[in-house]
Amino acid sequence: MSIEVRGLNKKFGDFVALDDVDVTIPTGQLTALLGPSGGGKSTLLRIIAGLEKGDSGSVNIEGTEATHLPPQKRNVGFVFQHYAVFKHMTVAKNVAFGLEIRKRPKDEIEHRVQELLKLVHLSQFSHRLPSQLSGGQRQRMALARALAVEPTVLLLDEPFGALDAKVRKELRDWLRRLHDDVHVTTVFVTHDQEEAMEVADEIVVINEGRVEQVGTPDQLYDEPANDFVMSFLGEVTHLGGVSLRPHDVEVESSPHHAGSIEGTVSRLVRIGFEVRLTVLTVDGEEVSVVLTRTHARALGLEEGSTVFLTPAAGATVIPRMAVAG
Amino acid sequence: MSAALTGATIDTAGPASPQGGRTRRTTPRNTLTPGAGVGLGLAMIWFSLLVLLPLSAIVARAASGGWSQYYTVLQNPQTWNAVQLTVTQSLVVTLINVVVGTVIAWVLVRDRFWGQRLLNVIIDVPFALPTVVAGLVLLGLYGPNSPIGVEWAFTPNAVTLALAFVTLPFIVRTVQPVLEELDTDVEQAAASLGASRPTIFRRIILPSLVPAIASGAALSFARAISEYGSLVLLSGNRPNQTEVVSVRVLSFIENGNYSSAAALASVMLFIALLVIVVLDIVQRRVARRG
Repeated sequence: MSIEVRGLNKKFGDFVALDDVDVTIPTGQLTALLGPSGGGKSTLLRIIAGLEKGDSGSVNIEGTEATHLPPQKRNVGFVFQHYAVFKHMTVAKNVAFGLEIRKRPKDEIEHRVQELLKLVHLSQFSHRLPSQLSGGQRQRMALARALAVEPTVLLLDEPFGALDAKVRKELRDWLRRLHDDVHVTTVFVTHDQEEAMEVADEIVVINEGRVEQVGTPDQLYDEPANDFVMSFLGEVTHLGGVSLRPHDVEVESSPHHAGSIEGTVSRLVRIGFEVRLTVLTVDGEEVSVVLTRTHARALGLEEGSTVFLTPAAGATVIPRMAVAG
Repeated sequence: MSAALTGATIDTAGPASPQGGRTRRTTPRNTLTPGAGVGLGLAMIWFSLLVLLPLSAIVARAASGGWSQYYTVLQNPQTWNAVQLTVTQSLVVTLINVVVGTVIAWVLVRDRFWGQRLLNVIIDVPFALPTVVAGLVLLGLYGPNSPIGVEWAFTPNAVTLALAFVTLPFIVRTVQPVLEELDTDVEQAAASLGASRPTIFRRIILPSLVPAIASGAALSFARAISEYGSLVLLSGNRPNQTEVVSVRVLSFIENGNYSSAAALASVMLFIALLVIVVLDIVQRRVARRG
């Protein structure tokens, strides 16, 4: 239910933005569309909102066939990366816009606007113009404006992309809490895996116009469907034909485990409690390893030490593919 | 919904300012650096030499005759008719330009069609052409033995035509860059909030364009009331019918009647100022309303 996308294709000239995409986004959840820039995730979001038209395929929103509906008729709230504020209107007028279009009674509009401004903590700014707000405040205003019309789904296109790191983190936490309270089906696009993992209930990984994997943050991290998902969600290294996380490589000073691979520490960098090694194996492979300071000291590691590497027990390991980075 | 909403909190980041702070414009204190002082001085001297002093001289000369001087000049039916004709036609043409100019700018920015780049260049031709040549061009099409059967030369319509021709680019060129800068995100945001195309234009796009339209209209009007060259050929300068103020001023001067010329000139100056001020007020109103 909720948002169902079937067989969606979209080309811009020769560029394939979406290639036969099927995806179902569950009701009432906070879903992230995650992927590298130019991977098609924004295009998918814009097609769901009706701001762009797919070449073929269908979009169904909460049981309503929406493929050919104009954006005005879809009842979706859309939040843009660069806020898309109505510059000449006050904050209150911006938020009231959708309600005025719907010709709601004046006092109802006023009441609802006050309520929403309170929700986004902008009550005292209601008579300001957007140009007098900070980026974070503008985006919160844009969010209130989108929520005002009680949308069936709320779509956010890189909502925090234009903000500095601190504000972004703040807004991210806040969006999560807001969603826990409001429970409107929410989809947001991001290329920041940390943001997706931290905020979303479910993540749809999109790359080169295709859905690579759908799952909860834990599922994606622990059971990546392929090398791409694995490398996109965190650091990856390769050891004896498999891909795994650098902190999942076990280091020993003597060959305890069968099948351990011998190598020499070619580089050792310490960052706080963390030690990063580059190990050159006898097969000529460069393996990145992360371990704690304590562990490294216990092993007496330094550049030039001989070490034996094995994938740690319970590590996420997938066979290495040709394109692995 | 509202009861549950109080849970989410966030620090209200960003600069805080007095509550309910509506923008109040304050005159900035003198913050001129020495370099800026020289710049301002140069600007003022240049502006004074070219504009302020000559204008003051005209007004002073006209005023030396007292109010009666103005009265006598405007009393003359031929002069009064010229003033009426000039002002009405300039207003009409400016109004036409507001609509047509905005449409042309829109087409040039938002649509893609064959010959668009060429059109974009040609728009400036009426402005670049020597005005006498402009008159000649129009005379060819709308003059006697008009190939399209519209013989408007030497009628009041000729004045409209000539003024429309020479003022065409003003609004196009002021609106165009603003339209190019306009964020289509904003229109899409309005659309997803349920606004129809006409509503989006009226409530979102137009308020952004109004300042540009107003300044283009001011230019267009100012140019129209001062037009001379193209009218000489096309309108025939028939007293009480197609004679405009600039021609009238010239004939005053040719007859050595400098004080009448000055009086009439300062009347036109006043009208021009009035229109510019009115346009500015309109622009502020509309831009604020949304």
